[in-house]
Amino acid sequence: MNFQFQSLEQLLAMDGHGPFVWTAVIVSVAVMLWLVIKPLAESRTALKEVTRDIARAANSQGGG
Amino acid sequence: MNWLTNWSPSWQWFHRLGSPRWFYQTTDRWLPWLSLMSLALLSTGLVWGLGFAPQDAKQGNSFRIIYLHVPVSFLALAGYYIMAIAGAIGLIWKMKLSYMLMKSAAPVGAALTFLALFTGAIWGKPTWGTYWVWDARVTSMLILLFLYLGVLALQYAFHSNEAGNKASAILALVGTANIPIIYKSVDWWYTLHQPATIKLTSAPSMHPDMFAPLLVMILGFYCFYTVTLFLFTRAEILRRERKSSWVKELALGGSAV
Repeated sequence: MNFQFQSLEQLLAMDGHGPFVWTAVIVSVAVMLWLVIKPLAESRTALKEVTRDIARAANSQGGG
Repeated sequence: MNWLTNWSPSWQWFHRLGSPRWFYQTTDRWLPWLSLMSLALLSTGLVWGLGFAPQDAKQGNSFRIIYLHVPVSFLALAGYYIMAIAGAIGLIWKMKLSYMLMKSAAPVGAALTFLALFTGAIWGKPTWGTYWVWDARVTSMLILLFLYLGVLALQYAFHSNEAGNKASAILALVGTANIPIIYKSVDWWYTLHQPATIKLTSAPSMHPDMFAPLLVMILGFYCFYTVTLFLFTRAEILRRERKSSWVKELALGGSAV
């Protein structure tokens, strides 16, 4: 098993197919990152809202 | 609920399986390992496939897109089964967690189907000379994307959460008719898309040096799919169970999950 390219330029160019291959890679990685970040952000927001609701309930009890 | 679980001990596992809290706790333990495995497999497979696998005799380097296109398409299809089965379990046993899984499988499946179409289009340009063709395989994959988006949209089309879940589950089940069409499309209508590279019933039509990294990528994408399905389901659990005491404890930083 050998590395198929002589240099970084050749790896990027891939005999003219580089733009196609690398676009596929970049877009795939971007979509995959979105699939991880989106639910994590949603979970964080959900937990923050729960904390806020608890604090609000405690405040209204204390004030009333 | 107690009388149900006490009624028969053999059903206990089933009810525990349906408990969002149990799911949240269990995936909490699995997620670090699954994430590590998907990262290791995907990075190994990608470097191997892009840099070390031999060139294709006919397609040259553009063939390297296979290392994304095939695993992504695999999971786009497998994810549809998971969504439809979760929907069916929800309809039959009215399991909350099952609907949550179904709902979470929709955005993940839609994203992967989009990637399957996108990487396919980019591969099509140097190979077929065109980005898009109304080939049977491509068209049935586009229908798959619309099915995923339909399940997503139906969730928001009803005021009642339960009606939305039921409608989504029914659409998911009806849509399974499309799955065999996708699988068979390359054999029934021999147009531009090449026949399947990997079949369970026969040896792969690929040189082992090319096939090994593809297998690594497929395994990696299975792990990755599981991770994202878990993450979306956990977010949904936190939204739906926000009134329950265990979520409140979790939000306040307690470890009593």
